[in-house]
Amino acid sequence: MENDKYDLIIGLEIHIQTKTKSKMFCNCPTGYFHKEPNTHVCPVCLGLPGALPIPNKRALELCVLMGLATNCKIDSEIHFDRKHYFYPDLPKGYQISQYKRPVCSNGKVELSNSTVEIERIHQEEDVAKSTHHIEAGTNLEYSLIDYNKSGVPLIEIVTKPCIRSAKEAKEYATRIRQIARYLNISDADMEKGQMRCEPNISVQEKGKWEYKDGIIKPIGNYKLNPKVEIKNIGSITAVEKSIEYEFNRLTEALESREEIIQQTRGWNADKGITEFQRSKETADDYRYMAEPDIPVIDISKEDMNRISKKLVELPNEKIKRYVEDFNLSEYNADVLASDKDVSEFFDGLVNALNKKVKDIIVSAKLAGNCVTGTIFSWLNEKGISLSEAKLDLNDLVQWNLALNSGEITKNKAEELLRISLNKGKDLSDLLDEFKQSAKDSAGNIKDIVLEVIKDNENAVNDYKSGKKASLSFLIGQVMQKTNGTANPNEARSILMEELKK
Amino acid sequence: MKIDISFLKHIAELSRIRLSKKELKKFTPQMRTILDSAQELQNVDTEGKQPMKKYVSFSDLREDIPKESLKQEDVLKNAKCKEDGFIKVYGKVFGSIEES
Repeated sequence: MENDKYDLIIGLEIHIQTKTKSKMFCNCPTGYFHKEPNTHVCPVCLGLPGALPIPNKRALELCVLMGLATNCKIDSEIHFDRKHYFYPDLPKGYQISQYKRPVCSNGKVELSNSTVEIERIHQEEDVAKSTHHIEAGTNLEYSLIDYNKSGVPLIEIVTKPCIRSAKEAKEYATRIRQIARYLNISDADMEKGQMRCEPNISVQEKGKWEYKDGIIKPIGNYKLNPKVEIKNIGSITAVEKSIEYEFNRLTEALESREEIIQQTRGWNADKGITEFQRSKETADDYRYMAEPDIPVIDISKEDMNRISKKLVELPNEKIKRYVEDFNLSEYNADVLASDKDVSEFFDGLVNALNKKVKDIIVSAKLAGNCVTGTIFSWLNEKGISLSEAKLDLNDLVQWNLALNSGEITKNKAEELLRISLNKGKDLSDLLDEFKQSAKDSAGNIKDIVLEVIKDNENAVNDYKSGKKASLSFLIGQVMQKTNGTANPNEARSILMEELKK
Repeated sequence: MKIDISFLKHIAELSRIRLSKKELKKFTPQMRTILDSAQELQNVDTEGKQPMKKYVSFSDLREDIPKESLKQEDVLKNAKCKEDGFIKVYGKVFGSIEES
């Protein structure tokens, strides 16, 4: 993606449908997925004359919460504006949105190697769903409109043009989705349209522009190349792919001295290309005005305190804690924190262990490896999620304790875990059986040690002549003969004892 | 703001209203008169006056409780065209007013 001559400049607009039971300005239910068309509508969301919008408290709380989670400044008043345009999916002829005073502004989101600046997050309402067709017989074009989606709460998160690569845009979109899910602001499923990403990109010659006060400015008499907006992105992967495609398309156009016009393009995921939709030669003219039907909403300190209480530990903070407190690798910490269910499961496991062990760092590391290793590979094979697997936390606590105390070797422990997962056997039962047979063999462990010494003359001689590594080999032999039931620490001390003789 | 035929044409297009050349010519001076009247408001001295705003406290906003919506047949009653429970709209929805 690197280019010697050109820089890539990206700003991202993300729309997220927030998770409320009723719509933004009326009591109609929000869950429109797979519902009969036009059954979740009323005079307000149909834009019938005289109907009055009444803002949804929870929706605005979720908007503020998203702002707090992205380090935004929260306005002390909420002002709504009307954004006018005529289109069949917008029955009022205007969308209630926010123009001059968004609820949240000037935030930032930390990524692995950079910080993305958020310009604003504002509250608005979704529009109807329309599908376009051609009538058989008459060949006329027509659209079918379902107003169930009209008026569903929507927040728009806008970054400054500070993103510099397709990969960074993808990481940012992923982080925003994570935050929305962690805080239960939205399920943010892109396939269902609960989250929509629209990158604005431009390509500029290196050294000819600067980023200042949140905007891109030309240096000298350089003329900035126009922006291209990409729509119709249906997945996080498509965020990266579409930007990469567009960067290549634009640099090639510039190299062959084609004129670039400001335009909107649609991502075609099947073909892996962007396609021209419309030019944006004239500036949008939305004739914004203050929404006269909704009073200014005061947010008090108490309101803010109440909303901040809903903030939970976010992925970034979790990763930091896992690395610093438990000494986990960055990779494992990232895997554990990336999904809310997984991190909650891991936190639950560590909390339970913390009450029972002295050294939580060792235990947490074992627990982390167990989740990201054996359990994840099993989930992958089965094609199910951790929450669907319904694992027993207590069983895993017992398993970790046994492993921690050295009662069982790592290999044997993982073997038991795999048996339990694959065959649906109770892990605690397997551990109990194992401990019982370990006890049974404990009595004759000395006999086995003597047998191993007798059978491995070479290794014994090596050990006695100073080759300490041979001891591990001999311990391994003992473990093998006891089918892994012997306590390796015990085997070691008995072996050393006998070898001194 | 210059109120001329091209301004009126622009406003009509934004509102998706088709106006003939004759209508544009007729409505332009009328629109100018309307906007000039409204412009009178700008002459009022508001120095030192508080803007008239209605306030509501956050806690008094509507609770998020869903209620029953209209019946589909009632929703579609006013629609000129309908199909399988959808409202049907003829014309190319993308594109300018000239094309539709």
